[in-house]
Amino acid sequence: MTGRVVVAEFAKMRRLRTLPVLAVMVVGVVAFSSLTFTAPGFLDAVDDPDARPWQWLLGGPALAVALISPLLLAIVAGRQIDIEHQGNGWFLSQTSGVTAGGLCRAKFVATGSLVAGATLAQSALVAALGWAVGISVDFPTGQWLGHTASVLVINLVLLALHILLSARVPNQLVSLGVGVLGTFVALTGTGLPPWIGHLLPPWSYYGLAIPVDLTEVGVVDLDPHHPSVIVLGVVGGAVFLALTRLFDRQEAR
Amino acid sequence: MSNAIITHDLKKTYGKRTVVHDLHLRVPQGCVYGFLGPNGSGKSTTMKMLLSLVRPTAGEVHVLGRPMRRSTRRELLGEIGSLIEAPPAYGHLTGAENMRLVRHLLDLDQGQVQRAVQTVRLQDHLDKRVREYSLGMRQRLGIAMALAREPRVLILDEPTNGLDPAGIEEVRDLLTRLAARGITVMVSSHLLGEIDRTASVLGILAGGRMLFQGTREQLFSRSTPDVLVDTPEPERATTLAGRWNAVRDGDRVRVPGLDHAATAHLVDRLVHERIPVHGVRREEQSLEDVFMDLTGGRGL
Repeated sequence: MTGRVVVAEFAKMRRLRTLPVLAVMVVGVVAFSSLTFTAPGFLDAVDDPDARPWQWLLGGPALAVALISPLLLAIVAGRQIDIEHQGNGWFLSQTSGVTAGGLCRAKFVATGSLVAGATLAQSALVAALGWAVGISVDFPTGQWLGHTASVLVINLVLLALHILLSARVPNQLVSLGVGVLGTFVALTGTGLPPWIGHLLPPWSYYGLAIPVDLTEVGVVDLDPHHPSVIVLGVVGGAVFLALTRLFDRQEAR
Repeated sequence: MSNAIITHDLKKTYGKRTVVHDLHLRVPQGCVYGFLGPNGSGKSTTMKMLLSLVRPTAGEVHVLGRPMRRSTRRELLGEIGSLIEAPPAYGHLTGAENMRLVRHLLDLDQGQVQRAVQTVRLQDHLDKRVREYSLGMRQRLGIAMALAREPRVLILDEPTNGLDPAGIEEVRDLLTRLAARGITVMVSSHLLGEIDRTASVLGILAGGRMLFQGTREQLFSRSTPDVLVDTPEPERATTLAGRWNAVRDGDRVRVPGLDHAATAHLVDRLVHERIPVHGVRREEQSLEDVFMDLTGGRGL
């Protein structure tokens, strides 16, 4: 049954423009990251290991995801949930044997797989652009994958949060408003000390995941808080499951 | 005739407010059961409890001989089609896409979906987006979605809400055809006229309590229509029949609540007092009047 419900969620995405919205997310992050190529001296340093061009390039998406993801993820989650409010879909599901919580979980799996794909695509495309402009020094696989995995976890936790919020509050302007505020928190979080960054999950965790800093003296490695991101993922997943189980027991409105 | 739906002492309370009181529903198999009551009488809540969408505070629900519980819910819902409140449909999808979704969710075959669509005569409008549908078309799509699983029981909550007279007639005709195919149809309404000619069994709810349940004939037999006496001397006759609360009604006398023996006694007294009696009959009562009696004048 669960597989059927997930497939049904993909069918419901027709005309919701979910893929174009995620495409905007990918293109936005890639475009923002491409600005690095216009930085003075970058193209001259593509084969200089001391200039660390890959790390320099990685600074782009690290900031771009904080700028772009919160609002677009709110839109993706909001659209997928709003159709249930508008079309009395909660009843259709419940009378088909699918609880409200089960429907939310299916929506998370369906939209989450696309968000995961978009997150991996944006990371891969930025790397591909790096090779395309001729960066020839060794690719920092661990650093790059670590950042990609962290962003993936934060994106999925944020998506789960917006699914819950949109399901609970039928007015989708609330979810969008939270998305806008989240963008502000995420951007601010990139410049805050880590202890403050831990206080406003999941948005401020984009800042905790940043692996490099671009300073006047060059690229400086940071110590990204991967364990904190893992904890966020585990706690976020547990809270999502617990709350959707609560939805399962709730009566029809 | 066995019952498709039975409830025992079904009760629903929200906080201190009880919206359904100790309901004993008996919905015979293969009939159209008209579930009538004013707005807010507890009809929708009862129907949601039948579908296990709302948990009863007390009591039990049995559908098709099996108890409706969390553990049996999914299996039983496979045999119950339903339309509660607004018809469910995704406005951004076409009718065909909505039906495909239902087909996929319930693991139905294409034939089942086609039959459901043909039953509600929606086959020529399936390529339109549902947001472009009229209310009547949405209602028919909702019924098609409920019918696609080829249910043995169909529960419809106010399916004619917002429909024009032609749409109402179409739904009536549909319900009659479904019952003729052996499907038990339970349909609620706050408007008597919508159900009057369709339902063979009626349940009347007011204030969360069942006021009446039975056939139309049983309903009439429960009510005692006024006795009308035609006489050229209505003034004298009214005075004489004063002990029976008689009132003058134009050129005749109206006497409420008389049974057969009391009617005979009244006529005997009139004749004894030499008051000419040209006719004695019971007033023709409409179903509406009977309901007004039952609901204490609140009507439906």
